[in-house]
Amino acid sequence: MDNSDQSTFEQDLSAALSRKAAVVVPGFADRVVAVVQVKRRRANLIRWSSWITTAAAACLVTVFLTKEPSEESLIKQTRALLASDESAQFNEILGLADDLSVLAPVIEKSTLVDVLTSPGS
Amino acid sequence: MPQDEPLLPDDVEDKRLMLLVAGGDDDALRLLVHRHHPRLVGYLRGEVGSLATAEELAMEVFIRLHRAANRWRPEAKLSTYLIHIARNLVLNEWRRRGRKPTTALDSTPEPGDQSQTSARRLNELDEAFQRAIAQLPAEQRTAILLVVQQELAYEDIAEIMDAPVSSVKTWIHRARARLRELLKDFYGPA
Repeated sequence: MDNSDQSTFEQDLSAALSRKAAVVVPGFADRVVAVVQVKRRRANLIRWSSWITTAAAACLVTVFLTKEPSEESLIKQTRALLASDESAQFNEILGLADDLSVLAPVIEKSTLVDVLTSPGS
Repeated sequence: MPQDEPLLPDDVEDKRLMLLVAGGDDDALRLLVHRHHPRLVGYLRGEVGSLATAEELAMEVFIRLHRAANRWRPEAKLSTYLIHIARNLVLNEWRRRGRKPTTALDSTPEPGDQSQTSARRLNELDEAFQRAIAQLPAEQRTAILLVVQQELAYEDIAEIMDAPVSSVKTWIHRARARLRELLKDFYGPA
């Protein structure tokens, strides 16, 4: 390749690339802005959804904690229930009687009569 | 780009617009895209060969620019920053496709051609160059596009390509030699 060919080549290369250097796309800027706005809305939606979910979970936990009865309250409620329950009181008495019968000596009635009526007593 | 180089008016305007974009100003974003998209799409079309793909990639470049607007520091020219993002996307695109860019070219003559004959001649030459450029190795193609088409300085190209200036010069020299070889039907053997 001589110098003129070289020069022509360089000029053509530069011209060919320069003609393609800038491509104006009609409406491109508006499309970019539209995509960015959609992404921004989506991000906001996700952020709000996340915030609402977190807040709702916190509310549920708070409600659960405030409604849970304390230990003292549970004891009072149990006592009140027991006090109002007659069958429980009856069971308590029977349970005491059972305990006494266990402690009492086992003596058959016929044997006691025999002892009392025997001539030597 | 040296840090102490004075900003040109375009750079000052870019900086002003980027601050507005960071503040959520969509009109500023629209203006920035309007200013920079022609050269960006032109560069991307030179890289990937297809205008549709170039537009898609350019769209992604601006979306990333918008996302990074808060973190952007005006140490380099915005145009250089955009091409840096664009080149990374091109590399990703090639990896995703597992092949080199297409050689599909738009054969529509550019508006403003004086006659059909000269338009045909220009179009033929453009296509020949575009096909030849598409056959270059990636680094050579990027380097020749940035220096000849985008008229960037070696230092800017080195920054965009994350390579030393000496490598950039080598790629450009080899690209020219390879193009001459590929276009020997037009210019005779090298």
